[in-house]
Amino acid sequence: MISFQKITKIYPPRVFALKNITFEIEKGEFVSIVGKSGAGKTTLIKLLLREEDPTTGKVLFYNQDISQIPTKELPKYRQKIGVVFQDYRLLESKTVFENVAYAMEVVGAADEDIKRDVPRVLEIVGLEDKFDAFPKELSGGEKQRVAIARALIIRPEVIVADEPTGNLDPYHTKDIIDLLKKINELGTTIILATHNKEIIDRLKRRVITLDRGKLIRDEAVGRFII
Amino acid sequence: MFTPLKRIILYALRNTRRQLGLTFVTIFILFLTLCILSSIFIFKGMADYLIDSIQQKIDVSVYLDPDVNIEQVESVKKEILNLPGVKEVEYISAQEALEEFQQKHKDDKVIQESLKEVGINPLYPSINIKAATPNQYAAILKFLENDKFKPIIQKIDYTKKKTLIDKIFSLTSNINWAAISIGLFFGITTLLISLNSIRIAIQDSSEEIEIMRLVGASNWYTRGPFIVQGILWGFWAGLITFGAMFLTAYFLSPKIIQLTNGFNLLEWFSQRSVMIFVFQVGSGIALSILASLIATRRFLKV
Repeated sequence: MISFQKITKIYPPRVFALKNITFEIEKGEFVSIVGKSGAGKTTLIKLLLREEDPTTGKVLFYNQDISQIPTKELPKYRQKIGVVFQDYRLLESKTVFENVAYAMEVVGAADEDIKRDVPRVLEIVGLEDKFDAFPKELSGGEKQRVAIARALIIRPEVIVADEPTGNLDPYHTKDIIDLLKKINELGTTIILATHNKEIIDRLKRRVITLDRGKLIRDEAVGRFII
Repeated sequence: MFTPLKRIILYALRNTRRQLGLTFVTIFILFLTLCILSSIFIFKGMADYLIDSIQQKIDVSVYLDPDVNIEQVESVKKEILNLPGVKEVEYISAQEALEEFQQKHKDDKVIQESLKEVGINPLYPSINIKAATPNQYAAILKFLENDKFKPIIQKIDYTKKKTLIDKIFSLTSNINWAAISIGLFFGITTLLISLNSIRIAIQDSSEEIEIMRLVGASNWYTRGPFIVQGILWGFWAGLITFGAMFLTAYFLSPKIIQLTNGFNLLEWFSQRSVMIFVFQVGSGIALSILASLIATRRFLKV
């Protein structure tokens, strides 16, 4: 489904963020990408979202080289990927309901579908009583739930979560990871970038370890070893 | 096609309502800009009026032979009127000139006595010529120097007035240039300040724009609400400016009439109200759309 082929990313003047990275992700997998800060996890995600292009190598999504997607077609591509960030990246001027609805609106969903689906998804993430709240009125855990609901609502084929628990306490961390596991069990591919040892050791899923831009380990049932 | 448009308009209305501070500040900046731009036009109107009223006072008198008959006068008048640049030609008989002179100096006993002493009308019949612009007098006068007019023309007072006419011509063209230069300077400066202020205000939403793009919104879906918001700001700013200018014209008009010796601002404003309204609302909208496009362009490259 997703294939990183000999990816190297160099930031000017000569900072190697990623060096010759190659791996594949199958549909329905739950893959964790681990590494210290600066290991290249976020760069990898940025390449997948085509926020940036690799210096050399290719990122394939269903065998399509995503660097060849014209800028005009990028929104369509991004609509297939749900994204969850460490800093939540919610639209501060919109309510919880509107933030989640926005993701449906950009894909052109009908008003009736939005009215039906958004409350359902907010219920799944446990925010059924926060429809009209603005992000600034929510806790970190609640904000991350909104971000997950927004990623989930468009029924993406893959959800990419970049340090989704980085700003959360252990209780909310467990909560969010359980939610991602549940989503994965329903068939959505999950790519989780984190440096939280506890999460990885408890997940018992595939782990790709990066160190200073290099892929040093790729295990089917991995543990956090750096 | 209509659903995205409907949503874009709804987002814009919602943002306008939720960001009241930004809305007021932006409308205020636009209002100030439009006031300055409109004032430039009003000053230009006032300057044109003053120039025109000065030019109205200039004429050239052609004094005719006392024995000239009315047919000859009519023929000269006709020929002068056919010249390019001639605005008005008026014949004043010797009798009319005398009556006017007496009326003008009715309180001056010495002049009245002197006229009685002379016993006859010492004044000549004349033709007063007004040109459309002061620079056309030279050509008109050159035409009158033609030999065929010599028997009926006694003298022309052009040389006496030439210096004055030249001065007025140079003054009016200087006023025009000064008005255009000052207008351009203030106009461009205000436009740039206003564009930049709105751009900075919108840039506060840069993070939101990036998020919209990452969620999969297209360029126009992201930009649309900002543009619609810009249209709303521009419309309101134009409307407020029009109202404020109308009230100013209404209350200041009597004072301006006194100051300028007759320029009726309210009348000037009323005669051009549709054009002014379209200009103010149109430039308000255009300005804020331009600022929105510039501000959002940078963040759409994600």
